[in-house]
Amino acid sequence: MNARTVLGTIALAVATAWSAAPVGVVRAATIQSVGLQPDTAYGCLACHADKRTSFVQGVHAERGIQCRDCHGGDPAAFELPAAHRGRFIGAPGKVATVALCGSCHSDPNRMRQYGLPSGQVAEFRTSQHGRLLLANGNLDAPTCTSCHDAHKILRPDDARSTVYPTNIPATCARCHENKPLMAKYGLRTDQIEQFRRSAHGVALFRKQNFAAPTCMGCHGSHSALPPTVTEIANVCSRCHALVGQAFGRGPHGQAAHAGKLAGCLGCHQNHDTERVPDDRIASACARCHAAGTRASTLGTQIQQRAVQASQDLQAAERAIGNLTLAGRQTGDARFRYQTALTAYQQIAQAQHSLDFEEMEDLARRVRSISRDLRGMAEVAEEQRWEHKLLLVPVWFLALASLVLAWFALRHLESGGERP
Amino acid sequence: MLGRFWRALAQWASQFWADLKSSTDAGLLSIPRFLGLLYGPIDAKLPIDQAFRKALNYRLAPHVGWRHALGGIAYLLFIILVVTGVLLSIHYRPSAQEAYPSVQHIVSQVTLGWLVRDLHAWSANLLVVVILAHMARVFFDGAYKPPRETSWLVGVLLLFVVLAFGATGYLLPWDQEAYWTVTEALNITAAVPLLGGAVAGLLRGDPIVTGATLSRFFGTHVIVLPWMAFALLAFHFTLVRRHGVAPPEKTTGDLGSGRRFFPSHLLRSFMVAVVVCAVVVSLAALFPRPVGDPANPAKMPDAIRSTWVVVDVSRAITHYLGVWGFAGFSLLALGLAFVPLFDRRPERSLRRRPVVATIGVVFFLGLLVAWIAGRNLRSAPPSALGRQAVEQSPLVPAAPQPATAGDTSSERAGPQ
Repeated sequence: MNARTVLGTIALAVATAWSAAPVGVVRAATIQSVGLQPDTAYGCLACHADKRTSFVQGVHAERGIQCRDCHGGDPAAFELPAAHRGRFIGAPGKVATVALCGSCHSDPNRMRQYGLPSGQVAEFRTSQHGRLLLANGNLDAPTCTSCHDAHKILRPDDARSTVYPTNIPATCARCHENKPLMAKYGLRTDQIEQFRRSAHGVALFRKQNFAAPTCMGCHGSHSALPPTVTEIANVCSRCHALVGQAFGRGPHGQAAHAGKLAGCLGCHQNHDTERVPDDRIASACARCHAAGTRASTLGTQIQQRAVQASQDLQAAERAIGNLTLAGRQTGDARFRYQTALTAYQQIAQAQHSLDFEEMEDLARRVRSISRDLRGMAEVAEEQRWEHKLLLVPVWFLALASLVLAWFALRHLESGGERP
Repeated sequence: MLGRFWRALAQWASQFWADLKSSTDAGLLSIPRFLGLLYGPIDAKLPIDQAFRKALNYRLAPHVGWRHALGGIAYLLFIILVVTGVLLSIHYRPSAQEAYPSVQHIVSQVTLGWLVRDLHAWSANLLVVVILAHMARVFFDGAYKPPRETSWLVGVLLLFVVLAFGATGYLLPWDQEAYWTVTEALNITAAVPLLGGAVAGLLRGDPIVTGATLSRFFGTHVIVLPWMAFALLAFHFTLVRRHGVAPPEKTTGDLGSGRRFFPSHLLRSFMVAVVVCAVVVSLAALFPRPVGDPANPAKMPDAIRSTWVVVDVSRAITHYLGVWGFAGFSLLALGLAFVPLFDRRPERSLRRRPVVATIGVVFFLGLLVAWIAGRNLRSAPPSALGRQAVEQSPLVPAAPQPATAGDTSSERAGPQ
C-alpha cells in the first residue's frame, strides 16, 4: 500500500462522508472536494502549456476541435499514464499527418458547412510534394503542417497566417531558399528573390494588390507542380485572358500549342516576370529571329508603333497636367485619356497576335486623342500668356498718372503756395 | 517689478478707455476719418462744408516722409483684398464637392476671374510683408513708446487677424496643396500640450479635414475676421489721428507746419497707391498661382510646396533651427508684441537703445532670411516621412529599380 493509495482512501472517506456520492464518480468528486475541476476538453494543456498560446489563436480552437481529436488520449486524466492511454496518437509523423488531416478535411459532409473544399489530400497526392512524401516516403517533402503549422492553424485571409497572400512566398522560401536541401533535387533557390522584383511581386507587396499571383497562383497550392511547356500559356491566360486569346490566335500561339515554344516564356521570364519594355521588343524578337528576316522587320515595326504610342500617351498626360495647372476643367480630357489608355493597352494585346494592322489602327487612335488633348492644353497656355498683355495698359495708365501727379506736385511746390 | 508692471498696465487701460471715447466724437464726417481717409480734427460745431475744408487744409507734421507710407500701403492692400474677396465670394462655393470646381470656374470661365483670384492671393502675401515692414519702421523709430503703445498693441492684434485670414483662406481652393498643408498645420496644433488637441478638434470639426472644416474656415474667413479687422482698423486709425505721427526725439517748432493734406499729401498718397496697384497686378499676371490637383484625403502628395509666406517662414525656422528654435523665435515675437509695456523710456535714437535694437534687427532680419529660405524649401509632410520609413523598413521588400526605359508604361495608371 503506497502513499497515493492511502491518500486516495482518506479522500474517498472524506468525500463519501461529505457528499454521499455514488462510488462510480468517486474520483471526480474527490478532485472537486480539493477545488479542482477535471477539464474534459483541454486538460492536456495542464502539462502541454507551451501549445496553448499557438492553439487558442487558431481556427480549430474557435470551432471547438480538441487536442484528443488529433492526438487521442484522455484530457480528463490527471496522471501521465492515464492521459496517454487508449486511442493515443501523440505527435503524428509526416505521412500520418496527411491521413490525419484528411480524416476530416477530405469529408465533404463535414467541410460543406464551412464552405471549405475537401479535395486537398487528393490534390496533394498528385503534387510533387505528395508524390515524394506518400509514394517515396521522402521526409524532405512537406506535409500539411509544414505550411499550415500544427497548432496555430489560421484562415488564409488572416494576415498572421503563413498562407496569407503576402506570406506565401516566405512560407515556400523556408524550403525553397534552403540551398543544401534544394541542391539534392537540382532546384534553384533564387525564384523568390526574383519574384519579389517581378511585376507580380511589386503588385503584391508594394501595392497590396491581392489579385496578383503568389507562388501558388501559377504552381497550385496543394497540387504544387511547375507547369509544363504546353501548359504555360494556359496558366498565364487565367489572369491575362485577352492577351492569352490574342496569343493563341497568332503564329506563336500555334507553335506553343504544338510544344515548339515555351509559351509566354519565349519572351517573358517565369519568376522575375516583367513586361517587355516598348523599346526592347525588337531585341526580344532577335533572340530567335535572325536580322533581315521578315519576322525581324515586323519586330522593328511593332517596336516603333509601341514606342510612338507610349510617347503620345505621355504627352497626353502632360497636357492634362497643364490643363489642371491652368485651372481648366479636365473631366472631358480625362475621359478621352481613358480611351487612349485603353487603346494603348490593346496595342500590347495586338502584339501577342502579331496583327500589325490592328496595332497601327490603335496607335493612330492614341495619337489622335493625344493631339486633341495637346491642342486643348496649348489653347489654355495661350490664353494664360494673353493675360500678360494686360500689363501694357495697366503700366501705361500707371506711368501716365505718376508723371501727371509728379508734375502737379512740382507745380504746387514751386508755386506761390506753401506746400 | 510686479508693481511697476501693474501700474503700466493700469495706465495703459485708462488710456485705452480715453482713446475709445475720443474715437466717437464727430458727426457724419467722422466716417471717412474713421476709415483713415481724412486727416485732421473735425469740429462738430462748424457747418459740414467748412468742417470739411478745415480738415482738407490740415497740415501734416514736417517729419512725415515716404517711410510713413507703409501703413497706408497695408491699408490699400487690405481694401484690394476686401474688393477681390467680395468678387470671389460671388462665384466661390464653400462645400467639399463644389469648392474645387468653382475655383476652376473662376479661373477659366469668369471674365477676369483669374485676375481677381491672383490679386487676392498676391495682395494677401504682400500684406504680411508690408505689415512687417510697417512694424519694423515703427519699432526702429521707437514710435510704439507712450502715448502710442495702444496703437502698437492694436497693430499686433491686426497682424494676428491677418495671419488668421491667411490660415483660413489657404484651405478654400480645396486642392491637394491646401488640403494637406492644413492637415499638417492642424496636426501640429494638436501636438501643442494641454489645449492643442481641443483647439484642433474644434477647428477641424471632424476626425480628418473634411467639408466640415471647409465650412468653419469659410465662415471665419468671410464673416468673423472681416468684422474684427474693421473694428480694429477703425480703432487703429482713430489712435493715429489722435496722437499724430510720432515725432523724432529732438523735435522743435510747430508740429502742424508740414505739407498740406490736400492736395500735396493726397497726391503723394495717390502716387504710392498707383505704384502698389500696378505692382500687384503685375505679380498676379506674371506669377499666377497654379490650381493643384483636387483635394484627395486618400492620397498624400509626396511633398507640399507652400505659397503662403507664413508657412514659408515657420517651415524654414523649424527646418534649420528645430522645434526649440521655432519656440524661441515665437517667444521673441511675443516679447516684441508686448515691448511697449516694458520699454517706456522716452529715448528714440537707436544708439541709446542697443538691446532693443539688437533684438529687433535679429527678429526682422531673421524673418526676411527665413522667408527667402522657406520659399526654396520643398518639404515632405511629416506623415509622408513616416510612410517612407515604412517603405524602407526591412519588413517590406525593396522597390524595383525604376531605371528601365519601358518602366513608365508598366507603372502607368491613368490620372484620375
